[in-house]
Amino acid sequence: MENDGKRRAFLKVLGLGSVSLGTAGYSVALGTGKAEKKPHYGMIFDQNKCVGCTDCEVACRKVNEVPEGQVRLYVENKTDPSTPMDKKYVRVSCQQCEDAPCVAVCPSKACHRDVKTGIVTMNPDDCIACKYCIVACPYDVRFINHKTKAAENCNFCLNTNLAKGKEPACVESCKYKALVFGDLNDENAYINQILHVKDHVRMKPTYGTKPSLRYIPVVKVGV
Amino acid sequence: MNGAINYTYGFSHGVEWGWPIAVYLLLAGISGGALIVALLVRFYKKQQVDTPLLKAASLVSFVTIALGMVFLVGDLEKPLYFWKILIHYNFTSVMSIGVMAISIYIPLSLIMCFYLFEKEISVVLAKKSQLLGYFEMVMVLLKKIRPMIEVLSVVFAVVICAYTGFLISVLVRFPILNTAILPALFVVSGLSAGTASASMVASYLFKEDTHSSDLKTLHVIEWPIMAVEIMLIAMLFVSLLVGNEFQQTTTVAFQSGVYANLFWFGVMGVGFGLPLVLNFALGKHVAHSHMAFYLSGMASVLGVLCLRMFIIYAGQTFSI
Repeated sequence: MENDGKRRAFLKVLGLGSVSLGTAGYSVALGTGKAEKKPHYGMIFDQNKCVGCTDCEVACRKVNEVPEGQVRLYVENKTDPSTPMDKKYVRVSCQQCEDAPCVAVCPSKACHRDVKTGIVTMNPDDCIACKYCIVACPYDVRFINHKTKAAENCNFCLNTNLAKGKEPACVESCKYKALVFGDLNDENAYINQILHVKDHVRMKPTYGTKPSLRYIPVVKVGV
Repeated sequence: MNGAINYTYGFSHGVEWGWPIAVYLLLAGISGGALIVALLVRFYKKQQVDTPLLKAASLVSFVTIALGMVFLVGDLEKPLYFWKILIHYNFTSVMSIGVMAISIYIPLSLIMCFYLFEKEISVVLAKKSQLLGYFEMVMVLLKKIRPMIEVLSVVFAVVICAYTGFLISVLVRFPILNTAILPALFVVSGLSAGTASASMVASYLFKEDTHSSDLKTLHVIEWPIMAVEIMLIAMLFVSLLVGNEFQQTTTVAFQSGVYANLFWFGVMGVGFGLPLVLNFALGKHVAHSHMAFYLSGMASVLGVLCLRMFIIYAGQTFSI
């Protein structure tokens, strides 16, 4: 009998506890749900649509004032020589990693994640050009700008087009809609709608850097 | 890699960190290695007097690390902005951690020089009596903490040697560099270059007899250090050989081309072969000569330079 009373009390506490904790937890969850999610900008390169016209390259160099002979963005021709009619191009540019090695290794914090947008970008004044970020990047898509003598990468036109509320220059200039830019944290964004329905890959996923660039490869049925 | 889509084009176009960095890595290795062996000999033999070996090692370690800084800063594209690195620290960056270690290590090696060249510095300062007064005042304070400074110097000397290895072993794109063995290899090869430099300077500048008790001790430990170095290099090679597809392709660096020559003639031939031949193959008469002493010492240092060059250049040439 004595035990019974204890058990009842225990169950009561358990019940009350779980109810109160549950509501508390739920309200906390609601609270965070309401708080504005930080953006996570990403980009899709669709190999099915790219024709290799390099309009994106030209636009990027113009908008971001990249010096002659240098690029932030390059379209590499990856057409198989044995099937020259099946053209294949691939975008080479900063992959905007979520765990970016360049940000991790930069000794002067010049290479950093922009506070508002989360985009990996540079503060050229703080860069001492030690080239550590360049050798640390698994994708080899960073370089020293000949004019500013600072390291540089594609930052989705953060200081140029994005600052003016426009899409990145490459996306804007692409006649074939091979590039899509948007906020991956926004469920309703067009970029997410595409990612839901299309197969896509990340470049060199084994490095665990979680690139924000997604590639939709050409897939030919029956080949 | 993922065969569906990939690219081969990169923006760096070749070796980004060139020979100045290799020379810096050598100098940092010599600096750390010299101080480590000389102080360990002192601790082991419980020496109270300042030996020519310790004198030489202190001088060598300070001069090499200071010279190393020249190469390091000189390699920056914006060398005049190097101070930015001293005011912005990023604790996830090996380079930042290294800078912190260096800014402790350089004063330590300078203080070691103060201890061992107190008389010489006093003579120089004697003309300016005010400066001499300050110097003597500082030395009174410093002398009280000498045992602590010596222990700290050994610790930071190891940190300096090891950090240079970690600095480049975090570069995931390069299979030869991205190995756990590299920091250990850099500590051990630093020891061998440091031993050689310190004993040569002790004999040449401070007239230590090449058969003195200290240099004999160094001569005895030289060979085990060399053996461990060869073992670590072999481990590095085997780890690439049994690794994944990309690691396996990099073993070409050891087998053919200019880097293979650098490795076999420079590292193996000059660094290991020449000292071995001079000391063991040509009889006691040659082995005990001054010529053999200096030649094998210089060969050791040159071999370690070749090793650093090989690691830096071959490492960055073979990328994924």
